[in-house]
Amino acid sequence: MTGGVVVTGYGVFTAFGWGEKALRDGVFTGTQVFAPANRFDPTPFRTPMTAAAAGDPDLVDVLGGCADDAVDMAGLPPGTAGATLLGSAGDWKSVTRYSRGLDFSPGAGVPGVLAGAVADRVGFRGPRLAFTNACVASASALIHGWRLITAGRQDVALCAGAYLVEEENMAKFDSGRTLSKDGVIRPFSLDRTGLLLGDGVAAIVLESEEHALARGAQVLARMTGFGVASDAFHIAKPHPEGRGIASAVSQAFRRAGVSGVDYVNAHGTGTPANDGAETNGLRAALGTNTPISSTKSTTGHMLEASGAVEFVVSLLALLDGAVPPTAGYTTPDPACDLDYVTEGPRRLALHRVLSLNAAFGGMNTAILLEQP
Amino acid sequence: MITVAGAELTGALEPVPGFIESNFNPLVYRAAVEVLTGREFDGSRLAVVVCSLIGDATTTGLASRLLVDGQVHNAILFMQATANAVLGYLSREFDLTGPLLSMSTVDDDPRDTAELLLADPELDAVLLLTVELAADERTAAAYRLLGRTPPTTDGATALLLERDPQ
Repeated sequence: MTGGVVVTGYGVFTAFGWGEKALRDGVFTGTQVFAPANRFDPTPFRTPMTAAAAGDPDLVDVLGGCADDAVDMAGLPPGTAGATLLGSAGDWKSVTRYSRGLDFSPGAGVPGVLAGAVADRVGFRGPRLAFTNACVASASALIHGWRLITAGRQDVALCAGAYLVEEENMAKFDSGRTLSKDGVIRPFSLDRTGLLLGDGVAAIVLESEEHALARGAQVLARMTGFGVASDAFHIAKPHPEGRGIASAVSQAFRRAGVSGVDYVNAHGTGTPANDGAETNGLRAALGTNTPISSTKSTTGHMLEASGAVEFVVSLLALLDGAVPPTAGYTTPDPACDLDYVTEGPRRLALHRVLSLNAAFGGMNTAILLEQP
Repeated sequence: MITVAGAELTGALEPVPGFIESNFNPLVYRAAVEVLTGREFDGSRLAVVVCSLIGDATTTGLASRLLVDGQVHNAILFMQATANAVLGYLSREFDLTGPLLSMSTVDDDPRDTAELLLADPELDAVLLLTVELAADERTAAAYRLLGRTPPTTDGATALLLERDPQ
């Protein structure tokens, strides 16, 4: 089959470090690396725990490094006329530095400027957009890339997401009482008390299949469909029946002409409200037999970067035939009654996987990946 | 692509419940309401796109000042700090279950995004909202970096766009 959208490269950074090996060693073994934050004083907050890489890396540098890795893996030549689509709210540290009266980088706080900086770094000359719709931002970037390629407007799209743990969002999530009370994240478990923030940056090269084949690129997977739907329910809470999630999954299946998947990488934040609603939506769309896991249980919640990093996790699951586990799970919740892969990684022949995300405003995205 | 309705708002507006600390979200909401009210549409086939280069710098600045001053955050700031939260309020009122996007771009025309969305057979219309607040010291520096004059007033435009039937 030709005429689709394929994945030809990626770069990734999480609390486990740079690259796919770090991700495999951490996420796919169910390792939790949460520790008290040391980039700022976490004592005012409900919990000090975050999943952060060593040191205090610069967002622009990490994003640029992931973009370089993705373009190198794809083997794209300099000067490619591709789109650059970023999911990011900008570099919050520049805002904090301004508020403290320190030198700050005015452009780093502006998402559209960051998208342009990435495009300039890799030499892409096409559209440059930053999506800012919170936890579906980089999933929105990937979906926009799919749209541009499918409509014949671009052959290549570099789709990325970036968030590094900092104190502005730590404070906001603390005030919203969404951080885990006990400093542990346990998605779908009865004793879950909230989320923990984590570092995440990823960049993915999407490409038209014709373009990839014409230049002899290795096709890693196909992005065969997507769904995007809204709850029309609340400014922050998900619809309790998972209306938007179910609708997004159904839409993705309809676009791809399929009726099921072998694995779902859930949004799975570990908050009481999200996990129950997501379960209800998934049960309505998929039934009860599909393996599901929340890899935020290992990476933490990477906010705008969630969609891009979890796209890479889903891709590795597909390539490796391995479902990453939901770590931290202790106690079944009658409201969360699906197969959450809590016993550790599970070997499975995977043909098609689904990556889900949800955000404030009741937004939901579903992205389908298949074996090439 | 054709424009079937439009609106332009400037200055201070009545707050929207839950969005009281900044003019950004009231601009988004009230510009959208002006275009959507009294109009028949299928909310599952309408996409909403909020485009703002800088975003809600008023809320960002207030939350950051509270942080560095060591004060407890207001939970309302948590809710209203994301550009898309107000779209949850709007979508509930008009039963909008299609895509809700917010984005920032320096040079790209947001109408190109609307046109791309209208290439989707599952969508009939796009509500395109562009919003910028008057610059503060921090954002003025960003505008100057881009060689642009910092805006001095808060303003929003709304365009309801559909495919050209021709």
